[in-house]
Amino acid sequence: MKKRNLRGVVVAGAAAAALLLTSCGFGGGNTGGNDDVSSPGAVTTLDMMVPSYSDGTKALWEKVIKDFEAANTDVKVNLEMQSWENIEGVLKTKIQGNKAPDIYNGGAFAEFAAEGLLAPATDIASEATVADFQPSFAENEKVDGTQYGLPLIASARALFYNKTLMEEAGVTEVPKTWDELHDAAKAISDKTKSDGYGMPLGNEEAQGESLIWFAGNGGNFGDATNIAVDTPANVEAAEFMQKMVKDGVTQKDPGATQRTPMLNTFIQGKLGFAYGLPQTVGQIKTENPKLEYGIAPVATKSGEPATLGVADRLMSFKNDGSKAAAVKKFMDYFFSADVYTDWVSTEGFLPTTMSGSEKLAGDETLKPFLDMLPNAVFYPTTNPAWNATDGAFKSLMGQIATGKSAPDVLKEIQAKADAAK
Amino acid sequence: MSVATAPKRTAKRSSAREGGSFLAALPWIGPALLLILAIVVFPAGYMIYNSTRKISQVGTDLKGVGLDNFAKVFADPALPRILLNTVVWVVVVVAFTVLISLALAQFLNKPFPGRTLVRMAVIVPWAASVVMTTTVFYYAVDPNYGIFNKFLTDIGILDEGFGFTKNAVPAMAVAIVVAIFVSIPFTTYTILAGLQAIPNETLEAARMDGANRWGTYLFVILPQLRGALAVAVLINIINVFNNLPILKIITGAIPGYSADTLMTYIFKVLQFDRRLDISSALSVVNFAIVLVIVAIYVKTVKPMKEV
Amino acid sequence: MSFLVTEDRASQKTVIWRMVAGLGVAALFLVPYAVMLIGSLKTRSEILSIPPSYMPREGAQWSNYLTMWDTPETPVAYNLISTIVISLCATLLVLLVATPAAYYTARFKFPGKMVFMFLVIVTQMLQPAVLTAGLFKQMLAMNLYDTWLAMILINAAFNLAFAVWIMHSFFASVPKEVDEAAQIDGAGKLRVLFKINLPLVWPGIVTAVIFTFVSCWNEFAASLVILSTAENQPLSVALTKFVGQYSTAWQYVFGVSIVAIIPVIVLFMLIEKRLIGGLSAGAVK
Repeated sequence: MKKRNLRGVVVAGAAAAALLLTSCGFGGGNTGGNDDVSSPGAVTTLDMMVPSYSDGTKALWEKVIKDFEAANTDVKVNLEMQSWENIEGVLKTKIQGNKAPDIYNGGAFAEFAAEGLLAPATDIASEATVADFQPSFAENEKVDGTQYGLPLIASARALFYNKTLMEEAGVTEVPKTWDELHDAAKAISDKTKSDGYGMPLGNEEAQGESLIWFAGNGGNFGDATNIAVDTPANVEAAEFMQKMVKDGVTQKDPGATQRTPMLNTFIQGKLGFAYGLPQTVGQIKTENPKLEYGIAPVATKSGEPATLGVADRLMSFKNDGSKAAAVKKFMDYFFSADVYTDWVSTEGFLPTTMSGSEKLAGDETLKPFLDMLPNAVFYPTTNPAWNATDGAFKSLMGQIATGKSAPDVLKEIQAKADAAK
Repeated sequence: MSVATAPKRTAKRSSAREGGSFLAALPWIGPALLLILAIVVFPAGYMIYNSTRKISQVGTDLKGVGLDNFAKVFADPALPRILLNTVVWVVVVVAFTVLISLALAQFLNKPFPGRTLVRMAVIVPWAASVVMTTTVFYYAVDPNYGIFNKFLTDIGILDEGFGFTKNAVPAMAVAIVVAIFVSIPFTTYTILAGLQAIPNETLEAARMDGANRWGTYLFVILPQLRGALAVAVLINIINVFNNLPILKIITGAIPGYSADTLMTYIFKVLQFDRRLDISSALSVVNFAIVLVIVAIYVKTVKPMKEV
Repeated sequence: MSFLVTEDRASQKTVIWRMVAGLGVAALFLVPYAVMLIGSLKTRSEILSIPPSYMPREGAQWSNYLTMWDTPETPVAYNLISTIVISLCATLLVLLVATPAAYYTARFKFPGKMVFMFLVIVTQMLQPAVLTAGLFKQMLAMNLYDTWLAMILINAAFNLAFAVWIMHSFFASVPKEVDEAAQIDGAGKLRVLFKINLPLVWPGIVTAVIFTFVSCWNEFAASLVILSTAENQPLSVALTKFVGQYSTAWQYVFGVSIVAIIPVIVLFMLIEKRLIGGLSAGAVK
């Protein structure tokens, strides 16, 4: 008697659990979309996913959101932070699950636009806001003539040099050309205990280091329609990079060196030259304020100015299109001069809006970088094959430091880019 | 060993030995079955489905392509080297783990003051996250800020820091050391348990027969450990085969695919080439290989006890 | 076990040799975590100084262990609570589900038993990295996205295998006569399981608990995509928040990692003796 009862209970329990699970939506394919009620007066919730630039990024965004929500009670913003390493993987999973973020901060955007996933800039920001971006940046946000991204930050690379080491090695002039950089780095490598030049070709930022050198020879990665990696100018630059490695004027194993630890050796005073960013200035201030260093333009083949410029952007995935008005409110609020300059200067980046540039024109830290912006070469982010090219640089470019010939490596990268068309 | 119905008919249903039909078993295995069906089946099926699709780099499902992705996977020139690395990785890690664990368990089975504390210390790498343990190793062997490199230079073995993780071969070696390090605790404990279950009389008898130490170990102790080893090796094979974090952290920065195993290659295809379809196909291949290995293993070693 | 009464009649010298060797073994296994602990006591700038320092030069920064609970990057206290809740509930669920299955398969023959046992072990072989795409879709459909319940179910389902297999062999090693005697007394199967068998296989349950708990505690791939609210995320995901684009708060990464080890070690300390007993009963015929 008792035995039967117990079994009955178990069977009933299992059946109930099964029912519960099936009722939770196993039957149909209706995914997402159950949280956006768009009846008048209702609160619109925006999902926002952004990467961490620094320790302070989360707090900065939280402040922006808090003030924005206080002024706009009908919009709520859910902030999700991710590390740079994970953000694109998480984004892809979300796109596949039809739950792409309403506001997203990232580098690549063209392939999203090419597949019609992004809302045009004019749908997510007022005319005044769109018109305030510096034209050169706005141009980089267009696919087939339509602007999608709202440029969030800009940054340029500059040559950081260690004055103490230069003095010890008897180098008096800050190098302006490749040959001068080579010889100065060689002097430091030979005459001091430190390495001359830091070349990070590991998978963190091999594409960045490469474009700095390519730009120094008038090269680039191509344009919106064609990825062109194995051009004569680029090959010549890659071969010079290889010469730097072969002559032993760089740190050891450049092919597996990441930018962050390499810049840290510079900050610790153990490296003669390295290409750094505006943030590097802040890091030196907190981590080794005693460092005697200077900032100069990038060394190029002929001495003509050129550098790598990077811009990241805010964009909005359309989803069902019902949240565009709320996104617009947020973007207009965020890009207003005071809110935006506070954000961008706290993060230590260069502003992309005209009103922001005016406000920050007097900033001492940013000045050398702002001066370099006009000669900056950017990644071809408007080319849908850029993402694949970027990945190929990250996993393959380091091979020039391990003995593979430079033209072969560039050919291999070009092949990966062509395969992604 | 599947369905043996004939003798079952004759057995009485109320017998403690016979559960009878599958239906009678359902209340007992049902919850486990339900959990697996509800949670595991869909994502596993979705992975297989994705492996037959063409998916854009963004994640949009474009069209079905049948087995094209598998054709691409098998035509990949990098694949032979990757499979070879995988074999080396699994065989070396599991073999060394088992050998070291056998010795360590033997030692931890001997009584001495403080033994409990030593056992606790051996357990720590099991409790700690593999990602963090690997990260500490990675930074310790860094040529610039690595404590381990500094130690080697301080005691005069090296003139200056050596980039252990900068080239394929030494980096793979470091990864193998880390994998062995984190696999030892579980394996040691399983074997230790096996050692304790060996009856003292068996050992006494061997000693009476005049067997020497190694003879006793090889012909008396080791056969008794078979059951413990079977479980330890099975779990180790699956875990080592599917391990991603160790190699991703230690060999991740090395350009090209010369230090990749199947698992890290899947990760690179997903992360850098952004191909969910190809990486799904690779995962299916990976899964099939593990499945076959485990099936052969279960069939020959029979770690599951029969009723 | 007292100092000199040893079963293999070891001499005093041998015992001392063993203590020295034991010390060496313990040191070897603890070194990486000592490095971690020392790192967590350094200042942010000292961790990456060149050359590195063995000990914190500017004095041990115990304050790191206070400030790490209130960092701008992630709410560590909430993350710890999430980890505990998810791991405990998932472990409990595994026990509830695995115990009857392990008991029944060890005690009774039924058609499909081998298939069932193999299906269970298959769940262990799937790799989470590629499964996350499907899990994400599924949890959205089940309306469990960004909930603890989702991660409890996922952790339980993917860690079921070990618990079922190890407990299966424990139940199998309990003599059947025990069951038969009880059934003659008129006890039902569930009663036999709870009153007669469970006390006998207690070590096996402990073993299953440890395995399940440890792997839930360190789970990362699924939590990363399923849990989007910072407060809901476990420590494994929270750690990645300290990694910025160009700099990382290593002192907190190390500190949080040390704190994350402690609860698991405490669990081990409480049940170390039973774990040994447990494994021996299960793994050996």
